[in-house]
Amino acid sequence: MHEHTGRITVDGLGKRFGAVEAVRGLGFTVEPGLVTGFLGPNGSGKTTTLRMILGLVAPTSGTALVEGVPFASLDSPGRVVGAVLEAQGFHPARSARRHLRVCAAAIGAPDPRVGEVLGLVGLTADADRRVGGYSLGMKQRLALATALLGDPRILVLDEPGNGLDPAGIAWLRDFLRGFARSGRSVLVSSHQLAEIGQTADRVVVIHRGACVYQGELAGLGGGRRARVLVRCAEPVTLARALVAKGLMEVDTLPDGRLSIGGANAVLVGDTALAAGVAVYGLVEEQMDLEQLFLQLTGGVAG
Amino acid sequence: MTAVPSAGLAARMVKAELRRTLSVRMWWALLIPVVLLSLSINVFGGVFSSSLSGVGGETPGVLLASLAYSLSLGSVFAAVHGAVQSSGEFRHRTITTTYLTGGRVPVLLARSGVAAAVGALYALGSVAFGLLAGLLGQGSATFPSAGPLLGLIGTGIAVCALWAVLGVAVGTLMTNQAGAVVLLLVYVLAIENVLSLILKSGSGSGLDAGPPAIARITSYLPANAGDVALYDIPAVVLAGPRYGRDAVESLAGVASPPPGWASLVVLALWAGAGIAAAWVVGERRDIT
Repeated sequence: MHEHTGRITVDGLGKRFGAVEAVRGLGFTVEPGLVTGFLGPNGSGKTTTLRMILGLVAPTSGTALVEGVPFASLDSPGRVVGAVLEAQGFHPARSARRHLRVCAAAIGAPDPRVGEVLGLVGLTADADRRVGGYSLGMKQRLALATALLGDPRILVLDEPGNGLDPAGIAWLRDFLRGFARSGRSVLVSSHQLAEIGQTADRVVVIHRGACVYQGELAGLGGGRRARVLVRCAEPVTLARALVAKGLMEVDTLPDGRLSIGGANAVLVGDTALAAGVAVYGLVEEQMDLEQLFLQLTGGVAG
Repeated sequence: MTAVPSAGLAARMVKAELRRTLSVRMWWALLIPVVLLSLSINVFGGVFSSSLSGVGGETPGVLLASLAYSLSLGSVFAAVHGAVQSSGEFRHRTITTTYLTGGRVPVLLARSGVAAAVGALYALGSVAFGLLAGLLGQGSATFPSAGPLLGLIGTGIAVCALWAVLGVAVGTLMTNQAGAVVLLLVYVLAIENVLSLILKSGSGSGLDAGPPAIARITSYLPANAGDVALYDIPAVVLAGPRYGRDAVESLAGVASPPPGWASLVVLALWAGAGIAAAWVVGERRDIT
């Protein structure tokens, strides 16, 4: 039965395109009140999974339920789920306002809501221009406005950072957190850990169509395995000082920089100051997702 | 499987589809050639006064026949509109949003309904401007009497609406927009004519039994069925009830046509079959 929980339940989900097994045996849940990050490298099956949840692609095995029922069984899908997907287009000759009025009619949202969502994403000034002349970022914001029309309980976003400028990404991050705080659900996919790290409460990591990790972001250990690269006047002195502080993963890179594993910039900077070593450059490097997958999948390269 | 939409959902979908259709220029851009064709066909009406020798241009039946001809061409544009409207969703990749905000079957049914309304509008536009041109241009033409004229208008609306629905079906089945439009035009303007010629080629025996069964199939092809329905009324006015069927045969290019109302049913069955196929295919298609 349809329940108004805002929960997504994926169980044993699989999809085969001809000989390609895009998704296999995938299971996870998206809980209300949280931002769930959906991580995986390009081509790992994220988009296919999101489209199966949204009833756009039929699974070959398993189920993907939205509030306890398949998406196609929702009587007012636009009031339950809002989605921003990658291959979502707009008719180039239609203005943003007219596009939203079409969708508002389909969802059953009142027309004044169109002006509200236009204001929310900052498109009011351009609302009557044809979408054909929009930038990628404007189209992305229009897609978000469309998703929000029906004031849904669930937001699903596929790589929403693409096309947005840094300010737009920061705005979206705050918006998604606020959306989740109000007791609703957010499922957002990305191929970059850094992009999602500051937003997600939970993460589901998939690799080659199967789930390799599900749970708290901290459990991924992304932060722990970060490293700091430092260019300084006396590498040998600094290295000694760092080792004395208990940092054992200190290496010299071919370009002369020091690489310090398991440290952060503050610790390295303070140590250099205390040792009296001049620092010319300091870079904090998160471990990238590909490396992480190698560890999660037991070192089997993808 | 998606259930048949509830009343509230149906109303929302129709409203959305109306806005979708009216918010781009396609619907009136295609009305222009419909009106222009109707004007040029009816101002001369010569095709019919010359092809039906012995029948004077002063007969109101000539104007009715040229109106029927322009309605027949108008129905092609109604079909093109329906096909562009549904295949355009795939071309511009708007289908994802459309399916996310409404179910697949409700969208298909609402789109068919709105496309049918646009088709009906083309029929009305064609008749209105055709009558005007006919009365001004065919100097001696008299205004057709109300009964046959209203009958022709009603048939024209039905034929254009049904062709619009067939267009929606083709545009849903063939997601390539150019392919869907070209297929429709080539079929209606060429393939069906060639098919009719082949089917009728064996009817030379000329016995009292009439044309062979295979030649009779010509009346049941979709474009011919529409033409038979359209020419039914003008033919009776032109040639009288006794020779009306023969006139329909020559006007529509078919062999022993059924009555006009039956041809409308035949066309409706084609449209229904098209929508059923689009329903089945559209509901299962992966939107990637």
